[in-house]
Amino acid sequence: MRHIDSFPFGPALNIERHRLDNGLDVLIVADPSAPVVSYQTWFSVGSRHERAGKTGIAHLFEHLMFNETENLPLGEYDRRLEEAGADNNAATFLDWTYYLINLPQAALPLAVELESERMSRLVLAEAQLESEREVVANERRETVEDDVDGSINELLFLTAFEEHSYRFPTIGLMNDIVGLSVADCRAFYRTHYAPNNAKLVVVGDVRRDELLRLIDTHYGPIPRATLAAEQVQHEPPQRAERRVQIDKPTETARLTVGYRSPAMAHPHHVPLTLLNEVLFGGRGSRVYRALVEDTEIASDADGFVGNFRDPSLWEIHVIGSDDVTPQALVTALDDVLEQIAEQPIDEDELQRAQNRLELSSLQDLETASGKAEAIGFSEVVLGEPAALLTRLDDYRATTVADLQRVAAEVLRPDQRTLIEITPTRSS
Amino acid sequence: MNLIVERSDVLPLVTLGITFRAGRADEPTGRAGLARATAQMVRRGAGGALNVEHRLDRIGAELSEHVGLGATTFSCEVLARSLEPAAALLTELLEAPCTDEEELGRVVRQGKAALVQGRDDDSMLCSRALRRHLFAGHPHGDRVLGSLEGLDAIVAADVAAFGARHYTAANAVVHVSGAISVADADRVAARLVDALPAGAAIPYPAPPPTPPNGRRLVIVNKQQRQQTQLGIGTLGADVRDDDYFALLAANAVFGGTFTSRLMREIRSERGWSYGASSSLTVGRVREAFTMWTAPAVEDAADCLALELELLEAWHRDGISDQELSQCQSFLVGSHAFEIDTPAKRLQQKLERFLLELPEDFHDRYLERLAAVTRDDANAAIRRHIHPDDLWIACVADADDMQSELSEACGALAECVVESVDVP
Repeated sequence: MRHIDSFPFGPALNIERHRLDNGLDVLIVADPSAPVVSYQTWFSVGSRHERAGKTGIAHLFEHLMFNETENLPLGEYDRRLEEAGADNNAATFLDWTYYLINLPQAALPLAVELESERMSRLVLAEAQLESEREVVANERRETVEDDVDGSINELLFLTAFEEHSYRFPTIGLMNDIVGLSVADCRAFYRTHYAPNNAKLVVVGDVRRDELLRLIDTHYGPIPRATLAAEQVQHEPPQRAERRVQIDKPTETARLTVGYRSPAMAHPHHVPLTLLNEVLFGGRGSRVYRALVEDTEIASDADGFVGNFRDPSLWEIHVIGSDDVTPQALVTALDDVLEQIAEQPIDEDELQRAQNRLELSSLQDLETASGKAEAIGFSEVVLGEPAALLTRLDDYRATTVADLQRVAAEVLRPDQRTLIEITPTRSS
Repeated sequence: MNLIVERSDVLPLVTLGITFRAGRADEPTGRAGLARATAQMVRRGAGGALNVEHRLDRIGAELSEHVGLGATTFSCEVLARSLEPAAALLTELLEAPCTDEEELGRVVRQGKAALVQGRDDDSMLCSRALRRHLFAGHPHGDRVLGSLEGLDAIVAADVAAFGARHYTAANAVVHVSGAISVADADRVAARLVDALPAGAAIPYPAPPPTPPNGRRLVIVNKQQRQQTQLGIGTLGADVRDDDYFALLAANAVFGGTFTSRLMREIRSERGWSYGASSSLTVGRVREAFTMWTAPAVEDAADCLALELELLEAWHRDGISDQELSQCQSFLVGSHAFEIDTPAKRLQQKLERFLLELPEDFHDRYLERLAAVTRDDANAAIRRHIHPDDLWIACVADADDMQSELSEACGALAECVVESVDVP
């Protein structure tokens, strides 16, 4: 175990990075403000690593990680953690998968033991796969098939991307989920679940030297893997607007737009994030004000700039009022977006956006788990564990001219995909 | 002045809030949605909605207004350096809420849009149907959003009267958490309270609810579903009951954790639902015990039948010593996460104030939980939960599923089919 470096994490805390010989990075923040610890394992694997016909495997595999291991019978992982007062969960997205245990400080050795165990000694059997396939199929029914927003989002990415695996929904397509085999899962485990493809993030009331000894003992013997080179397809440039118009069993019209947006590490991502705040951040933002408050053509409008390793989408979601058509929503949205050229963003709008982002960044850090998530995410996507806070300086350094430039570059009709939903009421 | 302070210098953030003991249950007949509309009109005061939003953004503050059955909370989370302007704005809003009819019209239209939009959410439709019937004729069965008719009937005078009666010093508690000194907390709290009329404390208007009689089914009729949201409910224990902690521990065994009986039987062994849980709600009067799952349409009837079997077995046979011990360990151990931030610690104290709980309720929480015996837990189940007296709510295509869902329920006293537009 070697100490690699340390970074400030706000005015009072530090991130220490240590590395085992097998390549496992350990990021520790000692924060004694409460007698709790968040123990998270971030793997650099997500649905970006999937291919047609095998979509959903990263997420399904995440479910399987809670099953039997060589030394733990089925159910024992959850039972032992619960007995210790711990809460555990996991999440998978385009670029990453992570596992979290929030636990009382005294139970930390148990987390080290259990997480090292399943990193290398998971048992993959047909019976468990069959049950988890059903669970995931039900999760998909709940979040996609019977959820209008989930189904629209899936359609947006399937339409906006032609080659890149960001087109696949992380939960997987239903036909693929039911077809995944034990052999697929074993291959996935061997390929991606290795110490040199993982980052361990531990935040809370920890004694560093004791923790490092424990980690060395339990993870040290796990061999590093030869990681295959990524085979993610480059997405070709978009040449023209894409538009899908469909009916859905919903009460009101909806519009979802995806503009091509830069990767999170790209210099334009910061001004675009600020521009999103100016347009969609809160009830005083331009689009919310115009569509929801002034014209009342919509009951909600929000935006989100994709924060991914590769270029993705700036998503805009608008829910229509009463009998408004999706086409009317497009016109109303375009009117506001086109105004950016005629009525440039002013210093006051920029300052409001900067303050909103500062507040939301700090809100993310209120718990040990929130801090660990911010660190793990930033490390896996950007390679900078303290990026959530260092980006605040980038926001402050951004000018209105930067926002105008990025608006002109991104807000182009030929760079967008529109999903227009006409309601067919469901009752 | 009622003031709760929880200090922490870990982050440069402060949350300044004020809660009034007034909510949906306090609305006059025919004005469903008035409590929420009144709170929203507060946010639109002080020079108008746009001015308020820009002032909040300019100082790095976020204001939320939350209306529940028996309480309304205005909470402003702000960068610590901006505490003074945030306190000034909140004070102005409480002093001079919006009274403009045109703005009220906008609030009403947005409330109606939220009601319509909510019909897309099957989980919410199921939960609403369950509470509507479980608490039929009782304020706890009403929806905080109100109803289309109730919202249409609201005029500015209703809003003014509701605010004047309920947004008073006697009916308020101020709460402050985060990077702030006690002296500063005292000062900003006094400023907020000084902006309010003295008023009088208002007693809670809702009587104890009546338990259901017989097993009853409501189907919210919705086509093109691949999944059936299922809720089962009856009354639980009152949080002030001596055996509340016994039922809390028994519930943890039944459906309150990831290794609970419901999760094991429904998710882990059969894969029938992504989630399967049960919970006890707390309120100012006795509240609900509920169970939730969401199986695929083809598994819905079997899943419902299994849930009812599990409920009957829990009632009949109780829980074992080993199950109780396991759950007590979890509940006691995980309690650290109920108090790990100033906001959570503050929330506990606020809950104690609003629900009029004993002074030592949270201080003795772990002790009382750890003292529960198997006999206590099993007696509490039998006292409070009666598997033959409950409501079952489903969101499903009634033409296709009414027969099989009814059959899965066993002997039914009633089966009701409703449209998604019942509020």
